[in-house]
Amino acid sequence: MERHEAPAVGGLESRFFTATIFLFLFLFLGAGVLLLSADVLYVDMPAVKTVFSDPNILHALWLSLWTSTAAVAISLLFALPMGYALSRYSFPGRILADTMVDLPIVFPPLVAGLTLLVFFSQTALGRWIESTGLTFVFQPRGIVLCQVLVSASYAIRTVKAAFDEIDPRLEKVALTLGSGRWGAFFRVALPLARNGILAGGILTWARAFGIFGPLMIFVGSFRGRTEVLPTTVFLEQSIGHLEVALAVSLLLIAVAGGALLAIRLLTGKALFR
Amino acid sequence: MSLHVENLSFRIGSFRLGPLDLAVEEGEAFVVLGPPGSGKTLLLECICGLLRPESGRIRISGKDVTAVPPGKRGIGYVPQDYALFPHLTVEGNILFGLGRRGGRDREARRKALETAGLLGIEGLLGRDVRGLSGGERQRVALARALARRPGILLLDEPVSALDEATREKVLGELRDLQRALGFTMVYVCHNLEEAFGVAHRAGLMGGGRFLQVGTMGDLLRRPRSLFAARFMRCENILAGEASPLPGGEESLFRAEGLELLFAGKREGPLQVALRPEELEILPAGAEREDRRGGVLLEARVTRVEDRGGYEKLELATAGPRLSAHISRETRRKVLGEGAPLREGGVPVRVWVRAGAVLPLDGVE
Repeated sequence: MERHEAPAVGGLESRFFTATIFLFLFLFLGAGVLLLSADVLYVDMPAVKTVFSDPNILHALWLSLWTSTAAVAISLLFALPMGYALSRYSFPGRILADTMVDLPIVFPPLVAGLTLLVFFSQTALGRWIESTGLTFVFQPRGIVLCQVLVSASYAIRTVKAAFDEIDPRLEKVALTLGSGRWGAFFRVALPLARNGILAGGILTWARAFGIFGPLMIFVGSFRGRTEVLPTTVFLEQSIGHLEVALAVSLLLIAVAGGALLAIRLLTGKALFR
Repeated sequence: MSLHVENLSFRIGSFRLGPLDLAVEEGEAFVVLGPPGSGKTLLLECICGLLRPESGRIRISGKDVTAVPPGKRGIGYVPQDYALFPHLTVEGNILFGLGRRGGRDREARRKALETAGLLGIEGLLGRDVRGLSGGERQRVALARALARRPGILLLDEPVSALDEATREKVLGELRDLQRALGFTMVYVCHNLEEAFGVAHRAGLMGGGRFLQVGTMGDLLRRPRSLFAARFMRCENILAGEASPLPGGEESLFRAEGLELLFAGKREGPLQVALRPEELEILPAGAEREDRRGGVLLEARVTRVEDRGGYEKLELATAGPRLSAHISRETRRKVLGEGAPLREGGVPVRVWVRAGAVLPLDGVE
C-alpha cells in the first residue's frame, strides 16, 4: 500500500495535527544541522589540507578503504547463503539463529574487540591460529576481522529482507522450466535481490568504515600500521589537533551520508519500511 | 503423455491431501474443480514435483516419475498469477526454459519466436513484463511453459484474474493450442463456466480428496453428494424422508408437505437435489396426459428475476420453497409478458420428473 496518502478534507484540527508532527521532525533535523554547522565552522582550510596531505592520515584513509571493502566481501559471502536460509527455510533453532545474527547490532562494539582479543590470546585454538603465522592481534587483518564481526549482521539482515521480498513461486517455476536449485538461485533469486544485496553491502561498508572501539582493544592505534580514520579522529584530538580531528570526522560523516543516500536510491522504501 | 496418480498423499500442517488417484489420458483436458482450500494447488505441485508426496506414485506415460526433479518430468506449469520473472523481458521469460545460453542460442530463439507466434505475442518480445495487461501476462506465462513443448500442461486458475471477455477468448485459444500441440492438460479452477469451457472430464475436490469424477454434465446433472450438489450450484436441496414404493424401482420422498418421486430404492432420512432448470412450469390447472414417472405440484410464483439468459422463479409449494429456471418463452406463456406479479403470487403447476430428483449421499 502506498504510504504517502493524498490529504483528506480537514479543518483546523487536521492542520494542527500536521503542524505538530512536522514540529518534531524539524526540531530533530534542526538540531542535527546545528551540530554539523558547528563542526564545519570550526574546521579551517589548513586542517582540510592536512587531512589530504599527512602521510599517516592518508595511510589511515587507505587502510580504512581496503579493510572495509574486504569486510564487505567476507560479510556478503556469508550473508548470501545465510540470508537465503533464514528467508526460505524453517529449521529447528531458526529463531535462535535469527537472534544470534542480530546480536552484534545490539551489543556494544567494544565487546567484539574484547571477545576477539580473549579468543586469540587465551584459547588454545586462537593461540594455535596465531602461531601458524596467520596473526590477527595488532595486525591490519585484525581490523577486517573486527569489522566483519561488528557489521556482517547488517549484510545478513538486509540480504534476508531482499530475499523475503521475492515470491518463492518464481523459483518454483524456474524448477519446472529445467533449472536445478542452483540455477533457480543464480538465475532468479540472486538477480531479483540484486539491489537489496548491493544496499546490504553499502550499509556493511559504512558500518565497517566507522568502527573504532573494538579496534582500540584488538589491533591498537599504531600510527602508520593499524590506524584507520576513526582512530585518526581519536589520535588527533588527543594531541590537541581538534581542527584536523573534526575535518576527518566530516569526511567520515560525508562517507556515511553518501552510503545511506545510495541505499535509499537503490532500494526505495523497502529497506526501512 | 498420460498421467497417473496412484494413492498419493501429502500433509501440510493439519491439512491432508489424499490419499487420491487420478488418471488422465493422453490429449485429455482434465479439470480439477473445487472450492479454495480443497487441495487443488497442492495436487498440482505434487504432480509437477515441487512437493514431495508422503506416499503414492506419479506415473507419466507409464514411467514412475515420483523421484524425478520437476524440470525433467516433461511437464509445463502455469501457476496462479503467472509468476513471470520481473527481471526479464517477455523474450527472456520465454527463453528461460530453453537452456542457460538463452538468447545466444539460435535454436532456442527460433523456438521462443515460434511459441510467441502461436500465442500471438511476437510484438511483445522486447517488452518489460511489468507493463503487460492481464491477458498479455497470461499469454506470456503460457508461452514460457509451452516453449519446452511439454507433454503435460498444468494450469492453476490461469484465467481467474482476467475480465470475462478476455477469459472467454483465452479459453478458446487454449483449446486451439491443445488441439495444435496435442498436450495433456490438467486445469485447476473453481469456476463452473471456465470448467465447462475446457473440460473433457472433471474431478471435484473437497477436503483434499476427489469426491466425484466424470464429465461436467455428470457432475452437473448427477451430483452424488451434498457437497457436489452445492458446488454445482443446485439451488434446491431438500431434506426429508424416503420410503420405497411397491415394485422397488421408485421411492417416495417427503419433505414437509411436499411429495416427490425418484428412481431407486431408498428408505429413511434423505437429502435430494433438484436442479432448477429441470422443473417444468405449467399454467395453473394445466394437465399432463401421462402423470407416470413424476409428480405434478401446485405452487405459486412469488418472485421473478430476469437473469439475462433465463428467468429465475421463486416458487412457494405446500412444502419447501423451490427455485426454477425457465426460458423467456415459458415465462410469457405462464405469467404473461412482463406483467407484475399479483399479491400472494401467481398460481402455477410444476411437473417434477422422477429422474430430476437426485438422492444425495450422507445427510447433513
